[in-house]
Amino acid sequence: MDSRLQQLQILVKESSSLHIKSTLLDYSGIVEYYAEDLVISVKAGTSIAQIKKQLKINNQALSFYTDNEDISIGAAYAQGAQDLSDCVLGVKIIDGTGTYLNFGGQVMKNVAGYDVARLLVGSKGKLALIMQISFKVMPATYINQLTPPIKRKNNSVLHQQIEKKLKQVFDPRGIFN
Amino acid sequence: MTIVNQLSRAFPKGIVLTSKENTRPFECDGLSVYRQKPLAVVLPDDIVQIKQVLKICKINKIPVVTRGAGTGLSGGATPLEKSIVLGLSKLNKVKLIDVENQLAVVEPGVRNIAISEAVAQYGLYYAPDPSSQIACTIGGNVSENSGGVHCLKYGLTVHNVEAIRMLTIDGDELILSCQDDGLGLLALMNGSEGLLGVITEVTVKLTPNPAFVKMVMAGFDSVRDCANAVTNIIKAGIIPAGLEMMDSFAIKAAEGFAKVGYPLDAKALLLCELDGIQTQVQLELDNVLKILSGASTLKVSESEEERLNFWKGRKSAFSAVGTLSPDYYCMDGTIPRRHLADMLEKIHKLSKKYKLRVANVFHAGDGNLHPLILYDANVTGELERTEEFGTEILKLSVDMGGTITGEHGVGVEKLNAMCHQFNTQELEIFHKIKHVFDENSLLNPGKAVPELHRCAELGAMHVHRGELPYPELERF
Repeated sequence: MDSRLQQLQILVKESSSLHIKSTLLDYSGIVEYYAEDLVISVKAGTSIAQIKKQLKINNQALSFYTDNEDISIGAAYAQGAQDLSDCVLGVKIIDGTGTYLNFGGQVMKNVAGYDVARLLVGSKGKLALIMQISFKVMPATYINQLTPPIKRKNNSVLHQQIEKKLKQVFDPRGIFN
Repeated sequence: MTIVNQLSRAFPKGIVLTSKENTRPFECDGLSVYRQKPLAVVLPDDIVQIKQVLKICKINKIPVVTRGAGTGLSGGATPLEKSIVLGLSKLNKVKLIDVENQLAVVEPGVRNIAISEAVAQYGLYYAPDPSSQIACTIGGNVSENSGGVHCLKYGLTVHNVEAIRMLTIDGDELILSCQDDGLGLLALMNGSEGLLGVITEVTVKLTPNPAFVKMVMAGFDSVRDCANAVTNIIKAGIIPAGLEMMDSFAIKAAEGFAKVGYPLDAKALLLCELDGIQTQVQLELDNVLKILSGASTLKVSESEEERLNFWKGRKSAFSAVGTLSPDYYCMDGTIPRRHLADMLEKIHKLSKKYKLRVANVFHAGDGNLHPLILYDANVTGELERTEEFGTEILKLSVDMGGTITGEHGVGVEKLNAMCHQFNTQELEIFHKIKHVFDENSLLNPGKAVPELHRCAELGAMHVHRGELPYPELERF
């Protein structure tokens, strides 16, 4: 297992409060890219620009809207949007207990277990350290004009209660703030 | 008063079924090897009645198994011992069609194909098309995150649902939209197999009918050549609407059954459907024909009738195989496409090892395999051998970086295989998610996620640093 990953697991275990950001992560790079399988797996600190550059070599692209290519893919994932969620195939995380977990994978169709890889899209760094994400990519010619997706706050009390309880599932000690 | 009496008293006649004859059709779903008689079947007319059922079940601590059309293939709707089946087939109205925004609001019991039929007059359709689409319901589709033959280009159910209304076990309504800021709760509900809530309304995204469609049928002398052709099509930057593959056994079965003109001497058959605007389809078609130039037979559909005919063979492949064997067992593993040829060779070897025939039919475009293992349940030990064979295929799928189920769900069928795909900590997260929604575990309990002791007994636990987690658990 790579050493940065282990360092971060220890950091999480030993911390009582952590504010997650890309600079804290210091974890970037393209892990795997299979153009013929339309899939790329990247460490969360990788910039969107770097991913796009890599995909361009094979005339492929991300099929979700991004307005700032300098931010990391992990930041975009944590911010969350429907079009990004649609492309997520899998995620590897360190939860609030420092445990490294893997949900989903590199295949388009996967219904084993709850869809945690998409549940955590929009988790804003409050549930877990997002370490690695796998995306479905598309041939550039198939991508039409991308527009910013609409986002609205769900004001239902029940919705907020469920989000709060789900935070406790991933971060039982409440260290991610 | 027993729960059956309470239910019977709470509802008008015809809503609660209790007699042996009336509840028998609900004893199983599409996976009929598992059967269980429920205490009662309730078929509510509206949401108020659903709430009442949940309330009565909660007070009595009786599990509820929600059911659509019962076409599922993994036992997701199989009743549990001493459970109530909540059948939503009567909630079958299309409530609203929003042509401008390409959306339809439907009740959970609306059949998949009925959505496309209702919106056909506007030149629209609902894209996900599981093979059971004439019967299966949209509520069931969301619960299973159902796929179909056009997923590569048009996505699964999760990509085609805009919003849902659901009831928690407490009877509270939760509205989830894909526009919600925050956690992906709508995505979580897709494929949650009836364990988190009861879906009462679905807003689906509609897709405009393609202007032009062509289908290429190609026969190959070797399975590897066919698998390579799949990879080369994607590599060339083409996303077919459908990309299906069958092996020689499946070709013969389908042709014998549907008589559609498949090449009987081919070792593998590829069906490649291209859709879109005419100029683009024509361009892609030229490209595909070039890529497939090494095929032993190559044919392009010349009419809509011929295109549908090519599909007919593929779509009847399961029933065709059914005529060749008393029983068959359908697998649903998914692997990265690049491993297709290797996987097929391995399945072929396993077929010899277990002395059981296999027909391979699959969604090659998204790596979703449906090997059909042929067996005879009346031969002692053959079902067990089949299940062992199936487990080996699923383990191979996981080891190749894939999954044990691409679109059929875990249900009761793949609980053991789940222990191979997920470690204890990951399974624990699943159990805790269930607990957030349903702390007394009354909604379809025991399905989809195996109990930790089950995995321990299987001995399939992931061992971390040489120590077994949860040493306090008894192991046999």
